[in-house]
Amino acid sequence: MSFAKPTTLSREQVAEFEREVNTIRDSVMNNLGQADVDHMRNMIRISRASEIGGRALLHFGVGPLSWVAGVLALASAKILDNMEIGHNVMHGQYDWTGDPALNSQTFEWDIACDGEQWRHSHNVTHHTYTNILGKDRDLGYSLLRMTDEQKWKPRHWFQPLANLMLAMGFQYGVGSHDLEIGRYKHGAMPKAEFKARLDRFLTKVGKVWFKDYLLFPALALWSAPRVLAGNFCANLIRNLWTYLIIFCGHFTEGVAIYREEDTRNETKGDWYIRQLSGSSNLTGGRLFHVMSGHLSHQIEHHLFPDMPAHRYPEVAPQIQALCRKYGLFYNTGSLYKQYWTVMKRILTYTMPPKRVPV
Amino acid sequence: MQPSPTTATRTTAHVLARAVNTPLVKALGHPWVESIVRLDAVEDALSALHPLLSLTQVRARVLRIVDETATTKTFVLQPNALWASAQAGQFVRVQLEINGRRVERAYSLSSRPGARRIAFTVKRQDQGLVSNHLHTAVSVGDVLTISQATGEFVLPDALPANILLLSAGSGITPVMSMLRDLKARNYGGDVVFLHVCRAPDDLIFAAQLQALAADFTGLRLVVHYDASAGFFSPQVLAQHVPDLNTRSTWMCGPAGFMDAISAYWDTQGFDKQLFSERFVGAPLLPSTAPGTPVQVSFANSGTTFTTSGTDPLLVQAERAGLTPKHGCRIGICRSCQCVKTSGTVENLQTGEVSSAPNELIRLCISTARSDVALAL
Ligand code: FES
Repeated sequence: MSFAKPTTLSREQVAEFEREVNTIRDSVMNNLGQADVDHMRNMIRISRASEIGGRALLHFGVGPLSWVAGVLALASAKILDNMEIGHNVMHGQYDWTGDPALNSQTFEWDIACDGEQWRHSHNVTHHTYTNILGKDRDLGYSLLRMTDEQKWKPRHWFQPLANLMLAMGFQYGVGSHDLEIGRYKHGAMPKAEFKARLDRFLTKVGKVWFKDYLLFPALALWSAPRVLAGNFCANLIRNLWTYLIIFCGHFTEGVAIYREEDTRNETKGDWYIRQLSGSSNLTGGRLFHVMSGHLSHQIEHHLFPDMPAHRYPEVAPQIQALCRKYGLFYNTGSLYKQYWTVMKRILTYTMPPKRVPV
Repeated sequence: MQPSPTTATRTTAHVLARAVNTPLVKALGHPWVESIVRLDAVEDALSALHPLLSLTQVRARVLRIVDETATTKTFVLQPNALWASAQAGQFVRVQLEINGRRVERAYSLSSRPGARRIAFTVKRQDQGLVSNHLHTAVSVGDVLTISQATGEFVLPDALPANILLLSAGSGITPVMSMLRDLKARNYGGDVVFLHVCRAPDDLIFAAQLQALAADFTGLRLVVHYDASAGFFSPQVLAQHVPDLNTRSTWMCGPAGFMDAISAYWDTQGFDKQLFSERFVGAPLLPSTAPGTPVQVSFANSGTTFTTSGTDPLLVQAERAGLTPKHGCRIGICRSCQCVKTSGTVENLQTGEVSSAPNELIRLCISTARSDVALAL
C-alpha cells in the first residue's frame, strides 16, 4: 500500500463532485423522520430482548445446546449494541430526534471501551484524519505495520500473532486506544493526563468484568462456571466479529494512505475523496449490514458519518455511480475477498522491506 | 415582590409514588448499576407494561377532548401518580414526538388546582406544528408526557380584597384556573373577570363561565367582543373597570395587548400590582443581520461575553478566553455539541437559521444571529 496518488481530477471536477455528493446527502438528511427513529428503537428492543433471552438460557438452560444458543443470543445482543446501536448513536446520527436516550454525547455501551474515550479516538481522531499516516491512530491500531511507510521494527516479526491477539481482545484494543501509550512513553503526554485516561479505561473494564465475570455468574449459583464461560464466549465472538468488520473497512487492498502535507488546505470535495479512497465496503444482505452496524458501507459512513446508518444502502448505488462517472475507485467486495486482502497485507508487512538496489 | 405561592396539595398516591421511586431512580442512576441495567431500559419496559407507568416522567392519559370554539380544544387528562399538582396560573410543558422529532410547548392549565384531572386548552395556530398535531393527531386514550407544573404567574396565599383577572384570546386559560381557585377557596372579596375576544363564537369556556358567574357572588363577568364593541384599549378597560387602581391584576394575552396594558399601568402610576404571563402566541425570535454584536451567555458557568462577526461560536468563545470542549472543529465529531437554551443561530454549513429553544447545536459550525444562551 502506498500513498495516494494526486487525484487526476481538476479543481472544477472536485468542486462538482462535492456538489453532487452534497445533493445525495441532502436528499436523505432532509427527509429524516419517524421511520428512522423507529428503526433504531427496534434495534434497541431486539438487542435487549436478545440479551435477556441469552442470559436466561445461560442461567437456566440445561445441556450444551441451550448453552450454545445462549452464547449466540448474548453475542448478537452485544454486537447490535456495539455496532448498529452504540457506534451509530454515538456518531450523532440520531441527535436530531432530541431523544435523550439517543444522545450521542451521553450514550454508553456494553463494551470495555469507555464511551467518552471512544468519542475522542474515533469521532475526533479517526474520522477527521482518516488514513493520514501519523495522525489517524486507527491505522494498524499502533500495533500493526500496514504500509511501506511505517518503519519496520523487529517486533513486526510477531505481527501475525499480534493480529490474532488484537482480534480476540478487540474491545480492550479499542478501549485502550485513546490512552495513546506511545505518546506517553515518548514523553509527549504529561503523566497526570495519562493517569486520568488510564483510570477511566480501567474503571470501564472493571464495570464490564464485574457484570459478566462476577455478578451474573454469582447470581447463577451452581451454574456459575456455565454462565462465566458463556459470557466469555459471547464477548469473544463479539470481539472477533467487530475486529473482522472494522479491519475490512480500512485495511483492504487498494485503500489509499495520505501524507499530512498533502491534506492541508483540502476542500470539502478533497475531504470527500479522501474519505472515499480511504474506506472499503462489504457486500451482503440486510441482516449482514445490520449486524455490521452498516459498517459494511464504510465508504458511505465516512462520507456521511452523521447520517442514520440504515440509510446507507439507499445512497450507496448513487455514490457508486458517481465514482464511475469521475473515475474514482469504489472499493467493495465480499467479506472473504476483502479479509483475504487484509491478511495478505498483514503478512506482507511482517517482513522487513527488501532493499531495492539503487 | 413575588406572590407567595400556595402550597400545592399532594395526593397520597403521589407521596407514595415519590417514596418508592426516588431511591429507585437514584440507585439506577449509579454508574455501576447503570452499566448493568440502564434506566432507559427500565423505563421502556415499564411503559410497555402500562403506558402511564414511569419512574421519571409525568404521563397523562387523554380522557376527553372538548371543542371549545372552531379553533380551540381543551384536553382533559388523568396524570399518573408522579404528578405533584399545580397552582392556579401555572403551566406545563407538553412533550410530543412528531415525525421522530421531540418537541415541547408550554400550555397553561385551566383546571382548578388540586383537581384530580388536569386540563389545558390549545388554540390551533396556522403554522403551528404542535398545536396542529394536538388538534389532529391526538385522540382520547392517548398518553402524553408532560412536565410538572411551573411558573411564577400564580395567586398568593393571602388574597387581596380586590382582584382583576384580565385576558384576551387563548390567554384565558391561566386566569380561568385562578377563577376556579378563587371559587374553591370561597374568596369573599371582589373579583372582576374581564375577557377580550373577537365574537361570541370565539369565547372559550362560555358555558363554564356562565355557570360560575351564577353562583359566585363576588364575581363580575365582563366579556368584550371587539368585532362588535370595537378595539379594546386600556381606556376601554378603564371604562369597564373604573376602580382599576384598587385591584391587584393578573393578565394573560397576546404580546401587543399586554404591552399596551403595562404601559398604561406605568403612565397612570397605579400602585396595585400587575402580574402577567407572556407565552401566548410568543413571537418568533428575531434574527439579527450576520455580524451584529450579540451577547452569548454560558448559563452553567455563569459567564457572558459580547461578540460580533460571523465566526463560529467556538472561535468566539475561545477569543473571549473560554475553553469549550471540542475536537475536529469541522462539524464531524460533535464534541462541541451543546444545548442552546434560547436564541437564534445559523448553521454555517447548511445556512439554516433556527430559533427553537433547547436545541442541540455544534459550536464549531454555528454562529449567533441573536443573543444566545447555552447550557455550558
Ligand atoms: S468540534 Fe467536532 S463537531 Fe465541533
